[in-house]
This record gives sequence, structure tokens and C-alpha cells, in this order.
Amino acid sequence: MKRGLIAWDKTELPPKAFEKRLATARRRLAEQDLPALVVYSDLAQSNLARFYSNFMPYFNRAFLVVPREDKPFLLCGLSPRVYPWIKSVTILEEILHSPNLAQKLLEICVNRGWKRVGMIEPDRLPYDLHSALQGKLEIGKVPHEGDEWELAMHRRAAQMARDGVAAELSTGIGVLDYEFVGRLERRLRRAGAEDLVILLSNGSAAPAAATGQTLQPGYSVCVDLEYRGHWERIVCHHGAEASENQ
Amino acid sequence: MLNRAHLSRLTGLMEEQGWDLLLLYGHAWRKDFFRYLLNVNFSGPWAMAALARSGKVCVTVSDPWDAELFQGTDVRQAVLPADGLQADSGVAIAGLELMEARFVEALRTAPASASSQVEELRRVKDPDEIACIRRACDLADRGYEYFAQVIDPGMAEYELVAEVEGFLKSNGAEDNFMLIASGGTEVTGMKPPTERRFQVGDQVTTELTPQVGGYYAQICRTLVLGEPSPEQRRAFEIFFEAQKAGEDFLKPGVDIADVARVQNDVFRKYGYGEYTGPKYTRVRGHNLGLHPDENPYVLEDVHYTVKEGMVIIAHPNTYLPLSGYMVFGDTLLVTANGCEPMNKAERKLFQR
Repeated sequence: MKRGLIAWDKTELPPKAFEKRLATARRRLAEQDLPALVVYSDLAQSNLARFYSNFMPYFNRAFLVVPREDKPFLLCGLSPRVYPWIKSVTILEEILHSPNLAQKLLEICVNRGWKRVGMIEPDRLPYDLHSALQGKLEIGKVPHEGDEWELAMHRRAAQMARDGVAAELSTGIGVLDYEFVGRLERRLRRAGAEDLVILLSNGSAAPAAATGQTLQPGYSVCVDLEYRGHWERIVCHHGAEASENQ
Repeated sequence: MLNRAHLSRLTGLMEEQGWDLLLLYGHAWRKDFFRYLLNVNFSGPWAMAALARSGKVCVTVSDPWDAELFQGTDVRQAVLPADGLQADSGVAIAGLELMEARFVEALRTAPASASSQVEELRRVKDPDEIACIRRACDLADRGYEYFAQVIDPGMAEYELVAEVEGFLKSNGAEDNFMLIASGGTEVTGMKPPTERRFQVGDQVTTELTPQVGGYYAQICRTLVLGEPSPEQRRAFEIFFEAQKAGEDFLKPGVDIADVARVQNDVFRKYGYGEYTGPKYTRVRGHNLGLHPDENPYVLEDVHYTVKEGMVIIAHPNTYLPLSGYMVFGDTLLVTANGCEPMNKAERKLFQR
């Protein structure tokens, strides 16, 4: 769950990266004569909205709307009390309070004369939103294209996970898996991880969440680490080098 | 793993509703419907349990590692739509609203939503569930004690959160929902941690929500770095009185709207009624269980008759001009004649 540092370091991911991403998306919209891209975001599907705006929900859900010929804006279920914070860590200048996301999107489409919009993964929309939009708004599927900045962020995420595991791996033998997970959480969140899923195995089964077992020589740890919206998985076996599985 | 008491309640519901097949869907953030029947902390993006009216259970997972969690059990694995459990009609889904549209479309039938009915079953906790929540409350108390010990001027919000997460995980938490804020009267709400470094005089608010055995408990407390101002002390007195009013009122049979009303009346009595609305606050509490933010919400416009065995966090958290955003709240078990606070942490304005 997102409770690490949600930030935007403009030296790491400059505004021009977002400008290029939005320009690419707008070209794809133009190819299909679509007036806007709509990107869904919640705690389980947050990375596309992060890619285009740096917005990361910690709770509730949102639609990022990227008009083809206007600035992007956010339809958001979160309280307006946190909008100054959202604006401080995203490219967004306009956030519209939207307790009913589908209704708000439909209102905007009517007001702007949009009968069709683009989505990257329309079939992954939560069913309540999908069914609320069905028959009222035509959806065109728009391709998503990654970039070098994204790869660089993934590399940072992988390096962070690798460094954290390397520093703690030898300390795990004889320790309760809970304790080991706690050590990794502390180290990796202090290093800037946004979210973590840590699984362990003593070798008799696939890695799984901690259950209170004592770690034995040869144990394995799998760290899924999210750094500023970019997930990486590191799997490491005690006594072996970390391997990277993207 | 397979909760037979819950299975029995669910098949009873299916009988009552005329459902032949009930799917319980969960994804990475909302595992609650799935875990009500199969209390397994899956790690893949999603998992689904299919329950026939006969009581037969199949599971479909999205990650092969999760499949191993069911080996050696009497839960069969299947591919969606659950083979051997197909039904042409009478299919209902608990978690339908959360489910990705592609999965619903793959079912080749129009399912009913079972979410509200299953949520209602989940509201009244059995002794095993209450035992999990007690353990989570104990961990929340110890987690807050640790929070208050390690916080220091100069430390960044996210560093403190890292310390507390480490502590909670080390002590058996599966997960934790945590928000934080720091500063003065300019602070209007909580959010994820930032790079802001604590300063002497800061008021630091947090809610900790550790999960143990699948079940969440919550605690809300406020701490001042240094000597609290008279305004902060006065604000805390109001929050304390509001929380107590909610606790004194909460019992089986009351309308949850009135639990919010008695809390808000305390703010009104002191001239702060405007700070009980959505501009300054979200909810005055909510149900707890397999999800950290369950319905019903404690709000004056939400009507629900409270039942014995429910577990609710009451927290009159809001902004006041006296103090900025302040929080205070405990997890409460609704008993036959009232309610029992499940947190044991000191009820005070903390200071360091």
C-alpha cells in the first residue's frame, strides 16, 4: 500500500519528459480522431496515470483526462483538502472533485462535445465504471508507449531493491521472517520506496508472505519494489547473487 | 484457510437469493471479499473463489506462486469461468464493482452484484474475527508507542513512516494503512508522508491501521513536538469529549447517523459546527474488518442500525482553527449493552 515517499524530483524526471509523453499520446489520439485520452487510476492500477502526470493515488480513485488540444486535468475522488499536495507532486494544475467519477466524466464529455474518448486499457476498468459509461460514451483503444525515462526509473527501482537485499540478506539466517521483512521495509522505505511486497521461502514452497517461520540457510527472498510509480522485482537466494526479473 | 462458518453463511445467502454460483473477487488492494471465504494473503494481482450452492469451492489465481498456497487443501483450482461450477443463470459476484470489466465479460452471463449482501454478512464479527482484530489493536497500540518514541525534530515524515512500517512488519503485520501530517494551523488533512522535516512546535497527526490475520484495526492520535499550546490543549479537550460522546452513545439498535451527530454536537456546542462538514473532514468513523475503510461510514446522512458484534473506529478527526487538523480515535467493539474500546493506548495529546 502506498505509504512511502510520493514525490517528484524534477532533476530525475524533468517536466520535458511529461511534455514528450503527452505529445506522443496526442499523436495517437489524432491518428484515431479522438479528442481526449482518459486514464483510470486506483491503488491497484496506478502506473499509467503516474506515467502521464506523476499522479499517484494513496486512496480512492481518479481519471486523468488528457485533451488533445488542452492541458491535462484530474477527476478525483479525494478531498479538495489534499489538492495542493497533489499539485505539488504532479504536472496537474486543475483537479475537479468527482465523488462520482463516471458521472463527472460524462458531464465533461457532453460539455466539450466529446462522443468518443481514448483509453489505454478499457477492458481493465472496474466494472462499475465500465457499465456506467457503456452505451453513453464510445471508447477507442489507444496504444501506450514507454520511454527511456521510464526505463531509467525502473533501473533505479531495481538498484534500490538490489542494494537493500544485499545489505540485509546475510542477517536473515535464524531470524523470524516477520523480523526480516520489517528490516527490509525500514531500509527500503527510508531509501525512498513507495510500496513493497516482500515474499520469502525456505525452499520447500514458492515464496509467500511471512508467516512466522525462522529463515534457514539457503532461504530466498522476493522483493517487489515500487519507486515513484515504477515496479521492479528482485529475487535473491541466500548464497547466490540477486537476479532480476522484469 | 477455508472458513467453514463463513462458507455456511454464504451458502445460506445463496439459497435465500436464488444464486447458484457465487464468485468472491479480490485484487491487490481489495482482497476482502476473497479472504472472507479463503483467508489467504495472495500476492498476485487478483484471485477469485467460486462457491457453488452445494458448498463446493474452486479458486482461480493470477500468479502461479499463489497456486501453491492451496496445495494439500480441499480447495480445487480452476480456470475462469470455474470449470465444474458453471451456471447458466443465478451467478452473483461479491466485488463485482471492483472487478476488471474483461473478467465480467468472460463469464458469458450477466452476473448480479452480491457485494452489499456479503458486506452485510461481514459486518457482524465472530469470535475468531474479533480475536484477530484484538491482535491488530494491540499492534496498533504498540506501533503508536513506537511512533511516539522514535519521532524527532529533523527527521523527515517518510523516514518516520519507514520506521513505523518496519516495526509493524517485524511484529507480524501483513499490511498497514497509514496517513500522516505535520505542521501548524495551516495543516488541513493527512496524506502520505513527504520529505518535510519535523520541527519543534509541530503538531503531528497519524492514523495507523495494521492488518493481522487479514483483519484491520485502527488508532488515531496527535502528538506535539515540544510543549502543546493552550489552543492545542483546548482543541484536544473538544476531540476527547466528542470521541467520548460517540462511545457513550454507541450500542446495538442505534442509528449510526446519530453516532456522528453526537460527536458533531460537541463541536457545535463550542461554536465549531462548521468544521464537521465535508469541507474540513471526511467521516466521523467507519466499519473495520477485512478492509480498512468499510461501510457503513459514520456520517449524519448515513443511516444504518448498529448490531452487536460490529467493529467500528470512531474518530472525530477534523480541522479546527485552534490547532489545524487534529485526529483522535479508537477501534470499538459493539457489545450487548454498549461498546468496548479495543485499543489500550493512552488517550491523551501526546508530547515529545
